[in-house]
Amino acid sequence: MPDGEVLLDVSGLSVRFPTSDGVVNAVDDLSFQVRRGETFGIVGESGSGKSVTNLALLGLLNRRAANIEGTALFKGRDLLTMPPGELRRIRGKEIAMIFQDPFACLHPMYRVGDQLVEAIRAHERVPRRQAAERAIEVLAAVGIPKPRERFRDYPHQYSGGMRQRAMIAMALLLNPDVLIADEPTTALDVTVQAQILELIDRVKKEFDIAVVLITHDLGVVAEVAQTVMVMYAGRAMEQGPRQQVFGKPLHPYTWGLLESIPHVDQKVSRLVPIEGAPPSLIFVPPGCPFHPRCPHRFGPCDQKRPEFRDRGGGHAEACHLSADEKRTLWAERQERFTRAAV
Amino acid sequence: MEPLVEVEGLTKRFPIHRGLLQRTVGHVHAVEDVTFSIRRGETLGLVGESGCGKSTTARLILKLLEATEGTIRFEGRDITRLSAREMRPLRRELQMVFQDPYSSLNPRQTVGQIVGTPFAIHGIEGSTRSKVQDLMERVGLNPEHYNRYPHEFSGGQRQRIGVARALALSPKLIVCDEPVSALDVSIQAQILNLLLSLQHDFALTYLFISHDLGVVRHVSDRIAVMYLGRIVEIGDAGDVYGVPKHPYTAALLSAVPTGEAGGEMKRERIILSGDVPSPVDPPPGCAFHPRCPKARLVTGSPDEVPENCRTEIPPLRNSGGRQQAACWYPLRPDDELQRVVSHEPRGS
Repeated sequence: MPDGEVLLDVSGLSVRFPTSDGVVNAVDDLSFQVRRGETFGIVGESGSGKSVTNLALLGLLNRRAANIEGTALFKGRDLLTMPPGELRRIRGKEIAMIFQDPFACLHPMYRVGDQLVEAIRAHERVPRRQAAERAIEVLAAVGIPKPRERFRDYPHQYSGGMRQRAMIAMALLLNPDVLIADEPTTALDVTVQAQILELIDRVKKEFDIAVVLITHDLGVVAEVAQTVMVMYAGRAMEQGPRQQVFGKPLHPYTWGLLESIPHVDQKVSRLVPIEGAPPSLIFVPPGCPFHPRCPHRFGPCDQKRPEFRDRGGGHAEACHLSADEKRTLWAERQERFTRAAV
Repeated sequence: MEPLVEVEGLTKRFPIHRGLLQRTVGHVHAVEDVTFSIRRGETLGLVGESGCGKSTTARLILKLLEATEGTIRFEGRDITRLSAREMRPLRRELQMVFQDPYSSLNPRQTVGQIVGTPFAIHGIEGSTRSKVQDLMERVGLNPEHYNRYPHEFSGGQRQRIGVARALALSPKLIVCDEPVSALDVSIQAQILNLLLSLQHDFALTYLFISHDLGVVRHVSDRIAVMYLGRIVEIGDAGDVYGVPKHPYTAALLSAVPTGEAGGEMKRERIILSGDVPSPVDPPPGCAFHPRCPKARLVTGSPDEVPENCRTEIPPLRNSGGRQQAACWYPLRPDDELQRVVSHEPRGS
């Protein structure tokens, strides 16, 4: 467990969208803590609620359209009930964010430098020249070559990787405590992805911040996160230290995910897919939402919702199977998996 | 046995027009001098980053684009300059599965119409409905859903519709262009398993394009790695991934996050500096030389590369291993760069 101070303390977060087709249960009773100095990875497939969680924390959901419950304490203040003006002072300054698409996040008709200066001056009263100097410094810190010249460029003169660097620079300008990165490398090629992941890891250490990394890519989370939360149908299925979740996974959904991904360094004769498809969030299956796709379902799975409980060492999960049954089942599955390796 | 597809010196340049008179001011060098063959019944994987020319190569082979230079032979017959009309009988043999299962299916047609259209176009006799329903069953769709529209299906099921359509006329070659990139991970494996079992049952040959190196490894017998329009390395999947010869292949493989770093980013990794250069004005000599870590090891200086890397284009040739690589200084087994990527197999 990382031992930095708790920066974000989310408890019982639920987000529901009433629509004409029914209520969409986007996030259902989610609780987690993020500490200074750690990268907290949220992983899930599309529609698992990972991005909505992020938007709810930042107050970016329309509160009239979304029904938000629970608390999200940032340094003791609740982000979910805070007046918009107060939240605006935190967002972008103390909690910064970067998004998937660096193309859409920079205004195409303003110089990159001007956009950075604007970000500083939206929060602090500093002279333009001084803000520009700071922006150039941060551009250099995120690895933009010739930052003084690049400062005057327009976004289209930057490559995809450089735009994402510029976005990271913008996020770091005001010395945030938390950086929320929502699929920061999904739009990038693999060699550039490696550069950006390395950069995020480096700024996390240099600026001593907490990073919340949201992604669908298990490899990315496994590579850079210290704590991992696996989401499915708006709920947390499993959460814990990286070594635990990937080394000794406890939830059948996590097992399924790990087995269905082809690896670069190992060839198996046959992948084991998870049968079926993720459920509609309007008609979430009763009991455990994963039960219709779970090969190990039994009695209570379609009736009773499994409790999300800590099974020791900060490794929590929501499944009705007992610890012993799980150990046996996972050992069997691994055995089968190893035999399939060629 | 003769290969199913042979490609020689394949080149595609797209002209860039500017100004009032639309004068040609330059070319995008999308594919440059690409040579390879696909054997019957095998899967050739084509990997590379965006803009490296892998999709253009596929479209050239299917004659959806006209090649600037080079020849394409299908079953020994030169099809490079065939007209659209002459191509039509051959279309039955060459099919494609697209990346996006949303935009590649007509939203106003039912599954029955979508999968049945190939039979109508090629004037195949007999009951289209029963043929389509057989196909639907084979790809794992409920045949009773014959009259449903694409929007009533999930992403994975739509991709199955795309596969059924490609399969309709029993083709010999199916080009799969990023067939699972738009799907969630739990669904990807279903489609990959489907493609592999179809290949086994119908003796299909695949050209499989993906930017996901794990996916390509899983399905491919042989793999070609492309960079800026050229093949930089080609060979058996195990050789290319296990003991890469080209520094770019090694860098690409080492960039894939696998989680072995233990959440600390400690794993040795070749981080390439900079981005892929523009294909409008590719670097002279080896196109990879501005980013190549090996060339810098050779000279021992971070700012210098050997002269032949800058001036001469390295040919694709055998260099110690079983695969071919286009590099003047291919990696050796004791090479620092190769050690970074060759893992002991896990779980054994």
